[in-house]
Amino acid sequence: MNYRRTPAWRRAAAVGVATTLALAAASCSSSDGDGQSDEAGGTVTIWSWKGPTQGLQEAAKGYQLAHPEVKIEVTDVGNPAIWTKITTGMAAGGAGLPDVMNIGVDYIGSYIEKFPTGLEDLSAKGAAKLEPDFAPGAWASGTGADGKVYGIPYEVNPAATFYRTDLFQKAGVDIDAIGSWDQLIEAGKTIKAKTGASLFALDKSATTSAANYFQTLMALQDTFYFDEAGKITLDGEKQVKALGLLKKANDLGLVANVSGNDGAQIQTGKVPVATMDGPAWMAGSLPESAPEMKGKWGIRKEIPVETGGSSSAIVGGTYLSMSATSKHKSAAWDFMQYALGTKEGEQALYKGGGLFPGYLPLLEDPSFSAPDAYYGGQNPKQLFASELKAKSAKLNYTSDYAQALKAYDDAQTAVLLRNADPATELQKAAKLVATQTGRELANG
Amino acid sequence: MAESTTTLARGAVKVRSARRGRLERRRARVALTFVAPIVVLFAVFKAYPFGYAFYLSLTKNKGGVTTFVGADNYSRLIHDPLFRKALSNTFQILLIQMPVQLVLALVIATALNSGLLWLRGVFRTAYFVPIVMGLVAYGVLFSSLLNPQYGAVNDLLGHIGIGPVPWLDDPFWAKVAIAIAMTWHYTGQTAVIYLAQMQSIPKELYEAASVDGAGAFRKFRAVTVPGLRPAIVLSVILSTIGALQLFDEPFVLTNGGPENATETIGLYLYRNGFQFFDFGYASAIGYGLTAIIVLISLIQLVVLERRER
Repeated sequence: MNYRRTPAWRRAAAVGVATTLALAAASCSSSDGDGQSDEAGGTVTIWSWKGPTQGLQEAAKGYQLAHPEVKIEVTDVGNPAIWTKITTGMAAGGAGLPDVMNIGVDYIGSYIEKFPTGLEDLSAKGAAKLEPDFAPGAWASGTGADGKVYGIPYEVNPAATFYRTDLFQKAGVDIDAIGSWDQLIEAGKTIKAKTGASLFALDKSATTSAANYFQTLMALQDTFYFDEAGKITLDGEKQVKALGLLKKANDLGLVANVSGNDGAQIQTGKVPVATMDGPAWMAGSLPESAPEMKGKWGIRKEIPVETGGSSSAIVGGTYLSMSATSKHKSAAWDFMQYALGTKEGEQALYKGGGLFPGYLPLLEDPSFSAPDAYYGGQNPKQLFASELKAKSAKLNYTSDYAQALKAYDDAQTAVLLRNADPATELQKAAKLVATQTGRELANG
Repeated sequence: MAESTTTLARGAVKVRSARRGRLERRRARVALTFVAPIVVLFAVFKAYPFGYAFYLSLTKNKGGVTTFVGADNYSRLIHDPLFRKALSNTFQILLIQMPVQLVLALVIATALNSGLLWLRGVFRTAYFVPIVMGLVAYGVLFSSLLNPQYGAVNDLLGHIGIGPVPWLDDPFWAKVAIAIAMTWHYTGQTAVIYLAQMQSIPKELYEAASVDGAGAFRKFRAVTVPGLRPAIVLSVILSTIGALQLFDEPFVLTNGGPENATETIGLYLYRNGFQFFDFGYASAIGYGLTAIIVLISLIQLVVLERRER
């Protein structure tokens, strides 16, 4: 009987090598293994979250009818998880990223600046021919400092004031007669006295970001955390005015304290609040999240900070960008052009996700705007479209928006909960952002 | 005759030792190949990130260009008021929450160990379950329980005439809320460690103590606690390291607020890395935290060793 046995160490080594290879293979499997670079056809992967995912899936259906050789795969990664995933992928030189990413206006500036080779330059693909079709304010933020286009607007969010028609009626206040924030606060006193409802709600301890009112008040005054040169304007006169107004309402007991995750409590009227500042997508989601409130919510243009001031504010938006490491660039770009650059694609996006588009041919289409029974026959889409055309100022988010937002949240908390002075707190916040980012103070 | 026997014996030893040498080398090879995957994994997922993070902590990234800045990030760290604030918050929570948790765990373990308790299995599971609960579910649960306006906790307190307590809106109460959440999450685990150790304390010691006339409390103090010593040392060190890395609870409950009252070092590191994209500074914070943990662990070991003597 003669048989050869493989020595024990060799068997062990085989196991070890196999394990290591399996792990290596597992860690690589996230990147596309087909080895073909940039060929028409194949699978185009897209990352997005909740609502926008539904829009993209609807557009993908339409695209695939004409292009059966291409498969569009849209993944709902979740928000805010998507930012961590994109950041990690970008930091790893693009490993594991999808072909197309849905990126918020608050992040795209950072990605363009911190990872200059992460996003594909879309100008080289002819993005310029799409530009005239988009609202100028929305287009600008997708362009880098180098003048190249890195993102095409997907949704654009002008803001509006939503208000409870029933509460205003009960208090005998006419919302359309309110022409400034001082008048609004006066009206708030009457509403509080007659109905017990708060004028508006804020997440006073900033358990999630709580700067939505401040950003609207800044946008109404054509200013932001940074000026066009990227200098910090957080402690500017208009900014102090904005936070001062929030403090004034708060000191009068007109502001409800609602944590960031409790928006539904206001929408459904469980916490009675007379007004709610909301971006355009809110007009689409409110009928779904609070169907029982039909006819009780109205919508109007923003209330100007001062009499005669602007009543239009664009407070956000998202973009579709392509990762520079994509292996299906031509198919991905073809889909992006269909979804964002044709009426058919934009209509599908809107049908699926209900998000407000920045695409002018659709906004101007008579079929797009129609009276909405939920808002008592008002026409929210027309209202937003007119805001979008009125406003073209670009808000400079820069690559350091997150620092400014955090510093502001802390300042607002100090002012609302500790009765601190707005000017002092904003100065402190501005200085903190300056040391964190190395940016200059515009008023310094 | 005697001589030749020794020579023979010597020869046999030589042969045997040569054989043993081959055997040992083979055994070493086997052992090495078995540990190889772990060594490779350690090198790729631990050693490399440690080294790379150290390199990152000496750099700054501006406009996608990484430049070497030496110790700049570290000197910024020393002068950063927010880092100091996070450090002080972490220590406040650590010094208040850890003793409470350990004492509570001791009480629970004693109860679970008692023969008088019914349904011991059910209780043991009930106390241990929180540790396996996911971060998000846990966060949602506590933020709705502690919601100042319509949370169940304030509702209950209202019935006995207390409150409303501003759980998440007040710097002091927010820290208390974090401490409560941590205690709920981790006490069961500590109790299970204590329980395991308790069951290894010889029964004879208790019997001897009874014979000497010791009561229940005296037995607890003179037999149980000394018997638990190794488990207590372990849990103190583990809880300290855990608290210094505290992230989950403030992340889901307070987002570090209000006004950074619950900002911890872990949260501040995450913020700088993944919200501000300042990887250089985030790495410096990581190394700062490592230095602090090493220092504290050394002090704890020295102190506990000295007591041992």
